[in-house]
Amino acid sequence: MTTTAQVREHLRGWAMPHVLCPGCAHGIVGRAFLSAVDDVGIDPDQMAVVAGIGCSSRLVGYLDFCTLHATHGRAPSFAAGIKLARPELTVAVFSGDGDGLAIGGNHLIHAARRNIDLTVVLFNNEIYGMTGGQAAPTTSVGAIASTAPRGSVESPFDACKLMIGAGATFVARAAASEPYTLARIFADALDHEGLSFVEVLSDCPTYFGRYNKLGSGPEMLAAITRSDNRIAIPLAGKRSIPTIDPPDLPPGVELGTLHREHRPVFTGRAGGAT
Amino acid sequence: MSARGVVLAGVGGQGVVLASAVLAEAALRSDFEVKQSEVHGMAQRGGAVVSHIRYGETVASPVVPLASADVLAAFEWAEALRWMPYLAPRGALVVDARRIVPPGACKDHRTWGVPYPAMDTATVAHRVADVLLIDASGIAASLGNPKTANSVVMGAVSRFLDIDDVAWEKAITRFVPPGTEELNIAAFHAGQEAGSVRPEAIPDLGLDPIQQRSYRIEVDHSWCKDCGICPTVCPEFCLAMDHAHRLVVVDEAACIGCRLCEALCPDFAIRISVGDPAVVSGGAP
Ligand code: SF4
Ligand code: SF4
Ligand code: SF4
Repeated sequence: MTTTAQVREHLRGWAMPHVLCPGCAHGIVGRAFLSAVDDVGIDPDQMAVVAGIGCSSRLVGYLDFCTLHATHGRAPSFAAGIKLARPELTVAVFSGDGDGLAIGGNHLIHAARRNIDLTVVLFNNEIYGMTGGQAAPTTSVGAIASTAPRGSVESPFDACKLMIGAGATFVARAAASEPYTLARIFADALDHEGLSFVEVLSDCPTYFGRYNKLGSGPEMLAAITRSDNRIAIPLAGKRSIPTIDPPDLPPGVELGTLHREHRPVFTGRAGGAT
Repeated sequence: MSARGVVLAGVGGQGVVLASAVLAEAALRSDFEVKQSEVHGMAQRGGAVVSHIRYGETVASPVVPLASADVLAAFEWAEALRWMPYLAPRGALVVDARRIVPPGACKDHRTWGVPYPAMDTATVAHRVADVLLIDASGIAASLGNPKTANSVVMGAVSRFLDIDDVAWEKAITRFVPPGTEELNIAAFHAGQEAGSVRPEAIPDLGLDPIQQRSYRIEVDHSWCKDCGICPTVCPEFCLAMDHAHRLVVVDEAACIGCRLCEALCPDFAIRISVGDPAVVSGGAP
């Protein structure tokens, strides 16, 4: 992982500090992404990042690449246009769970179906942050949101399963609390030819943390780690560990690279240079 | 004659136990009473091995008391230092100028090196009458078998003991593996001739200097949002939140440069840079 001093070369320093709340893990995710861009050796002038609307999307404005702040949910479609017109660029999409899976769900699954050579980063914090803490398509059953004051009753999406089903050729899930693994997965995703989808377990201390009494930035980062199946499942069986109360554990999730295949990419089929 | 005491120290695999059997046998053949005791708990895994031999007209205890060994023979430098308290104030120290880092030694997380005491006979010279730092391993290798280094050391030890060569040679012949008797006797005599060496003259000593790195922690307070993440992840407690919930660097000197704080700061606000290194151990003596 590159140092902060190196990573800062990719920031628009004049725009910093960024607008995100104190302790919001989105910044950690952005940092790991910049580190991966360096590790893969992508020329910053050949890197394009497209964002929709939302807290995570706001990050794009601070990246010193070719950046585009697009309309709500439509980032994958803008990105597809860039990739078709300028296939030599490495194109990534930053999207939140609301932006990507609700407003832009349609655009996301069709980008996967077409296997457009993009890297889509989905910041999942189980809530709409910027618009005031409404329940998102990823909010866990029982979690409090401003539109679910007594707990959400809807089943959330499993974004990775959705994207595997839709035809994405690289699908991974990683946690903001593990920045080194996250950076490595981003590097793999950027290297992959075809639609790479990385769901990142991030957080929102301001809304999700406050509504659900999960604490602020440090506590929420620790909670992300505990939602990892590799940790949660073995620990759940160990009642001898006093701080772990098995019934209270959130349902565990699988982390890591979940799917990888090779399929012709859209730009090639459409006759553009690849 | 009061009983003489010899302490042999090394690490597993160096032949310490065999060398002590040779010494005990040679003393027996010189009509002394001999008692020997050894400790070799983790001998097969490079752990410390030590053997005490006492001989004389009559010997009561098999254990050499503190500060009373006539000779301390160490098969590597750190073991020499470890057993120094057993050496009598005017005793003789024989050391094979080798450096064997115990596998259990933890890497120091600030230097990423294993601190190993500088091989400097001056550090012990004031406590002993004779210091013989010999290149036993090098001599043994030049004779054709590096495993005979223990015989080279015993040759050097024999210079300080009243046991004649015939007894030594018979003892060596009895204990060394069949077929290596000649070689070990040659190694023994080479040890009797060996002079002190300067450690830097021995190649492969691995006297690489170990550097203590220092790190600088810079927090850009105009970017930092005092979120409190970095103090919770710093393994060395360099960072803390003050009573007003503002981030403060409380112990820059303790920073090990792990950069966890950098990786987990959501605001790109904390930077670690490497300061000037300082040599803390090792290096040319
Ligand atoms: S509202 Fe939530 S997601 Fe948005 S910046 Fe604040 S903490 Fe992060
Ligand atoms: S690099 Fe950061 S986290 Fe690591 S010891 Fe230094 S201050 Fe602490
Ligand atoms: S993690 Fe960053 S923003 Fe948070 S207190 Fe530390 S330096 Fe400040």
